[in-house]
Amino acid sequence: MATDTRSGDIESFGTVSKTVGTVFRYVLLAATLFGIVVLGALLVYVANDAIQPLTADPGWHLTFLLTLVLPTLGVGAYLYRRDTDALRFGATTVGMTVVTLMFAGGVGMIFVDILSPFVFLAYAVALALPFALVLALQRRARRIPFFTRAGATTLAFYVSLLGVPGPVGAVAGLPTIVPGVPALIQSLPTVPLGWMSLTATLGLGVAALVGVYAARVRDRRAGLFAGVGALAAIGAAGAVGPAFGVTSVPAVVLASVAVVPTATYAAGTAVSRPERRIGLLVPAVVIGGALVGEVAVGALGFAGPQSWVDWQFLTSAHSRTAVDAGLYPAIGGSILLMVTVALLSFPLGVGAAVYLEEYAPDNRFTRIIDVNISNLAGVPSVVYGLLGLGVFVTYLGRSTGTVLIGGATLALLILPIVIISSREAIRSVPNEMRQASYGMGATKWQTVRRVVLPRAFPGILTGTILALGRAIGETAPLIMIGAPSVLFSLPTGFTSKVSAMPLQVFAWSSLFASEDFYTKAVPAGVVVLVSVLLAMNSIAIVLRNRYQSEQ
Amino acid sequence: MSTDDIVDDLTRDTQNSPEELLTRSFFFVCAVLSIVTTVSIVVLLVTEAAKFFSITAPLMGIEGPTASIVDFLTGTTWEIGNRRFGVLALVSATLMITIGSAIIALPLGVATAIYLSEYAAPRHRAFLKPALEVLAGIPTVVYGFFALIYITPVIQTVLPGTGTFNLLSASIVVGIMIIPMVASISEDAMSAVPDDLRQAGYGMGATKFDVSTGIVVPAALSGIFSSFILALSRAIGETMAVTIAAGSQAQFLNPIDPTAYQEGALPMTAAMVQLLLGDITGGGLAYRSLFAIGLTLFVITLVMNVISDLIAQRYREEY
Repeated sequence: MATDTRSGDIESFGTVSKTVGTVFRYVLLAATLFGIVVLGALLVYVANDAIQPLTADPGWHLTFLLTLVLPTLGVGAYLYRRDTDALRFGATTVGMTVVTLMFAGGVGMIFVDILSPFVFLAYAVALALPFALVLALQRRARRIPFFTRAGATTLAFYVSLLGVPGPVGAVAGLPTIVPGVPALIQSLPTVPLGWMSLTATLGLGVAALVGVYAARVRDRRAGLFAGVGALAAIGAAGAVGPAFGVTSVPAVVLASVAVVPTATYAAGTAVSRPERRIGLLVPAVVIGGALVGEVAVGALGFAGPQSWVDWQFLTSAHSRTAVDAGLYPAIGGSILLMVTVALLSFPLGVGAAVYLEEYAPDNRFTRIIDVNISNLAGVPSVVYGLLGLGVFVTYLGRSTGTVLIGGATLALLILPIVIISSREAIRSVPNEMRQASYGMGATKWQTVRRVVLPRAFPGILTGTILALGRAIGETAPLIMIGAPSVLFSLPTGFTSKVSAMPLQVFAWSSLFASEDFYTKAVPAGVVVLVSVLLAMNSIAIVLRNRYQSEQ
Repeated sequence: MSTDDIVDDLTRDTQNSPEELLTRSFFFVCAVLSIVTTVSIVVLLVTEAAKFFSITAPLMGIEGPTASIVDFLTGTTWEIGNRRFGVLALVSATLMITIGSAIIALPLGVATAIYLSEYAAPRHRAFLKPALEVLAGIPTVVYGFFALIYITPVIQTVLPGTGTFNLLSASIVVGIMIIPMVASISEDAMSAVPDDLRQAGYGMGATKFDVSTGIVVPAALSGIFSSFILALSRAIGETMAVTIAAGSQAQFLNPIDPTAYQEGALPMTAAMVQLLLGDITGGGLAYRSLFAIGLTLFVITLVMNVISDLIAQRYREEY
């Protein structure tokens, strides 16, 4: 009743207390930051234990402050005021340098210790020949019936890889008439040097990508020049590398995985967006400052920090003493595991996502699959480990702890995550695009392959990278399948025993528990593992942001 | 091109051409693989666990030592050497870590979700969300090491008498680990609350505080609860952090007793890792007990996931 209302109630309209709201807001902010701050503090602690920056000469700190930190901050502040887009471009270039260098380290490890470049060349040629043949066939004659085409493709790959009559003939007791291309190449009397093989395979592939990118940014001529230039640069790296103290094979890997792609990105952006060119100051200052600082420190004789994360730690195997212990076999194992997991989970996960989004009828069976996938995502990782142990080891009788079993178990573990994120990416493709494709007379598979998957690809890639990040940190399933916690050599193939970075860290912090390992080897291992993970996460986040802003 | 060709092209059966059938069946097989995975998990766990219990072992044709299912489910002593398999000793430790991590993660997670959904400016969100993702992305081994080396000494100075291995430090890191899960699912639920409801609240003269706590949170309650259950099921299945930080001595503790958190115990997942790292002979009783614990763990987490799904679906407010 308006007449009964006491005047105080109406006055309270103007006197709402802001205190509660303000307090609430800051409590929420504090809660949000709590986990991030605690984790940040722990990471600072562990980095301090691993790198020990305080053991360096004050002069060392001062030199790098003057050559690296202050100039970078100066340029950063200037660009932040003037042009944030240019700053972002510069920062991305620096980030890309760091990430590609890490990636080059992994790839280099594969070609130095696991897979000989010459064998790689032999298989690359054996795969490229039938591929080119099939491509030519498809271009020449479009109206070949499907089965003829599929049969010809299979036959071409079989003959090229395995020869005539190959394993099928060998079963029937036929002698080999023509060996397969890999065997043929490997029986050649003159063997090209490792770096030449690598330039012809990895280098050529990277150069082709560079050419395509340049052609898209500018024109065909520029693409041709860029491609040839990239190939020449990669070859030159292999030829002159030894003169600068870098062995040829790592030099080729470094050039083709790190230097050439980063330079291409920087140059391409500088050409297509001239207004952002000034952003190139950032990498120039960072890289130049680091080099100048290094030279100055060497000349002035200032000692750097006694970091436990050093070349020795990254390239030696486990040891009983923490000072000599290293992570090399574990890093190699993690790389091989990731290759296996990616090869298994990507096609299967994307395939399942395509079925559920594009093909599945709306019936009970589809709903069961749907519920089942979300439940699988919640199954603890140890249980997946038990599955790997029971199925692969006990029932199929494989030996424990191999790359293949570990990879298969981890692939099953991340499969639900890959499926769920791929489905989201596929769902975000606008329906109009599909309808337009059908309207042009395309079949379902043509629509999926030419319209849906290319459009959803960045999203699928982001989800897969995040899932791989989950897999690289998993330890429990590997313990369950019997992966050895201590391994002194790199795995050489898919059937050899494998260790992994988190497993090695676990072994050091529990099986070899001692003050020495706690303060030296484990923090160093944690720093390496977390750096790899942060690199993968940042790639995924950058990809996603770019993809979202495009849409 | 003759007219016949065009007619052929326009009337061809695209649905059932060999190419279409082949690709469709490939995609179908991929999707069915998930069902195969679940079925093999269930079959494997059930058959191996059946060989462990004395009631079912004869059915499986297993001779030799077995364990009583009643002792397994009600016993409170876990000593493999003496063949005493009382899973309650392990369950109590798991339960304590779940309770401890819930005390940390649930309030912080919901507060984070409210902040991100109602208060944070887009610029801050763009920074906070990836940072929270990193929180969930750090390997659990690393969390375990942090708990053992950095958090336990702090606890020991505050609460003297805490062991090197203790459930408190394990609970803290597991809690931090699952904050992002609570936050992201709750935030999704809060963002799904229609803006009309908020505007109606403001129209009635409510403050932002009133709208957040009085309108948004109640409207998103089903999503918030389902995020709780999912996060707790993750805490139960968490392995490496608790293996490193909680210790390896199985003992039955009273989960309600706060001082019990200063002691070490052996949660289910840690017991499985310990069994595997010890010398267990393939096919022995200890090996089969692994699958019995695995089955217990799988059933608990599955039931929790299903409950969370039901809550999210049945009690969701339709707008």
